[in-house]
Amino acid sequence: MSFRYLLKYRNFDFYTCSFLALSFFLLFYIIFMCTSAEAIDKTSDDLNLEFEIPGVEKKSYEFRLELKSLETIRGLNKDSTLFLQKHPDGHDDKILYKTDLDIKLEARYYAKITRFYGRLKENLAYNDEESWENNLKTEELYVSFQPSPSIGIDAGKKVLKWGKGYAWNPVAFFSRPKDLDDPDLTLEGYYVFSGDFIKSMQGPIKTFALTPVILPVSGNINDEWGSDREILFGGKAYFFAYDTDLDFMFLLGNEINDRIGLSFSKNISTNFEIHGEAAIVFDYTKHLTDKQGKGIEKKYDAKDFLLGIRYLSARDTTYILEYYRNGQGYTEYEIKDYFSFIQAGYDSYINSQNMGDMLAGRMYGSRYYNKQTVMRDYLYLKVSHNEPFDIVYLTPSLTCIYNINDTSGSIAPQITYSPITNLEFDLKTIFLFGEDNTEYGEKLHDYKVVVSLKYYF
Amino acid sequence: MKKIIVLLVMWHMLVVPAFALDGNELLKKIDRNLNPESFEMYRKLLNIEPDGSKKEFIMYSVKKGKDKIASVFLAPASEKGRSTLRVGENMWLYIPNVGKPLRITSLQSITGGVFNNSDIMQIDYSAEYSCDKVESLEGEYILYLKAKTKAVAYDSVKMWADSKDLLPLKIECHASSGMLIKTLYFKQVKDFGGGVIRPAVTETDSPLYKGYKSIIIFASVKRRDLADEVFTLNYMPKVENLR
Repeated sequence: MSFRYLLKYRNFDFYTCSFLALSFFLLFYIIFMCTSAEAIDKTSDDLNLEFEIPGVEKKSYEFRLELKSLETIRGLNKDSTLFLQKHPDGHDDKILYKTDLDIKLEARYYAKITRFYGRLKENLAYNDEESWENNLKTEELYVSFQPSPSIGIDAGKKVLKWGKGYAWNPVAFFSRPKDLDDPDLTLEGYYVFSGDFIKSMQGPIKTFALTPVILPVSGNINDEWGSDREILFGGKAYFFAYDTDLDFMFLLGNEINDRIGLSFSKNISTNFEIHGEAAIVFDYTKHLTDKQGKGIEKKYDAKDFLLGIRYLSARDTTYILEYYRNGQGYTEYEIKDYFSFIQAGYDSYINSQNMGDMLAGRMYGSRYYNKQTVMRDYLYLKVSHNEPFDIVYLTPSLTCIYNINDTSGSIAPQITYSPITNLEFDLKTIFLFGEDNTEYGEKLHDYKVVVSLKYYF
Repeated sequence: MKKIIVLLVMWHMLVVPAFALDGNELLKKIDRNLNPESFEMYRKLLNIEPDGSKKEFIMYSVKKGKDKIASVFLAPASEKGRSTLRVGENMWLYIPNVGKPLRITSLQSITGGVFNNSDIMQIDYSAEYSCDKVESLEGEYILYLKAKTKAVAYDSVKMWADSKDLLPLKIECHASSGMLIKTLYFKQVKDFGGGVIRPAVTETDSPLYKGYKSIIIFASVKRRDLADEVFTLNYMPKVENLR
């Protein structure tokens, strides 16, 4: 807390914040370097080779706890249209601070062919308004029946992550959208019934698996999918043939757009992998506004594509490169119309205190426009390298997201350091770039610094 | 002169049987002695850094046939629940947070250290390599192995095996340039019961990772019949259920 007060009340700018965050990391690193064991040359002949096998008589229950403390520093882009939308009366601070404490608890219970699993996430956040927010969420809670390795049935709140892409998954029909700033974060599931029916074979098709899914929608369950009661049906068929993973999937419903998709993944060589996804969302309705705020609907079959590669170099550097075509996304002109409407609404408010267009703009934003990956064509590049300069347990990486349509994007250097088992320190800085009336050029913030410490029990 | 002829005949009697040895059959026997056809095992993997610090991982693994192996991490807490699958030269990693399997390569290392994924998920050597030549020395054989395809992690391998137990003693792994990538040492032969007698310790070092050492300790190796469906992507989140 004292760290954030130091930053806030001294009103440090981005460079000072980044310098302080980096200094904190270096201090952390030096402390652990100084306290690490002296060099001991041990071979297997010297080591104790007997060890306890944890739970060889397997326990019927297990717990796992993850504690994560984050400090997020955001620099406001006071020239952006979205800043005018959110803060038409301005904002005193240039920099916003948020302290989060995330507690994630996982529990498992085994009883013969039955398994119960739950994952709770509690978030305590201290925000810039100097108040605490509390958010407790059940991310997953389901029961699994596994009468044999070929058959499995699950019922409850579960995450179904489909697709082979790293940053985007157009075929993840039953998942919530990922956070592009951290695609590996756990997600909250939906209430589903699902099964796994697996068959191994000889011949070119070595494995076939079927995953049917039923997702009920009502006022209390899965209400994000709609307000009317209905049952959504979906499924995935998986084939492993000719050293290639191939999936076909679908989703059908009355109130939801039907969709079909496919994904694939294959190693071209020992260090080079290629993957891709394609989906069609039938009768998709795109909601837009023109410059005057008049709502428009465009109906069409939206086609989404993803193509990516993963490459490991001889120097142990991993490259992930993906191209994503968002068939449901806005064109450059459609986004400019939205920004023009917000600007017009702001001007009307300033000149006549009329909030009408401002509120309409906020409605369009919250429902349709103010999301990640809202336009059409993107590139994603992540480069990471293990233990450079022989600094053990250190992994630096660089992530770039580039909007091809309006040439805006973000660059995020990151350092992950885990010198002690179960402890992980992470420092990430995200810079946004882009001209006026571009996706990233008009975002509320133009930089973000995230410092986090994670510990597992 | 007579002594020379006798010596030459004796030398041939020693050498010729080695030349008559089928290296590939020998390699298959070594594979079977090292691991049963279908089994489960618990292992501890130790990475020792040049400064002496250690990181430990505990894994439960199941293997079937020549080229299928699945594993799940039991410790430490940060890795618990992560599972890996290998079918031939295809490898996948499942991280519970990510929620779906991702393809990985044999040259990467999910644990860090000197062992790579191909070493941790070792399948039968006879599935990946063919034996070009066998030499017989006192008490041991030297097998010269060549990768069957370019997808195999090491281009060539030189294996020293005990001629009595037909178990490996040392393996040198080479790149296509001939460069030594790493050396594996098999130590402390132990009777695990059920007819499984094999080295309990595999140690490795590498000229490319000077000062680093990695060790795998086998704590339990038991024969077990397993369904083929265990070695599929859909089963990866459930490997721990087999324990």
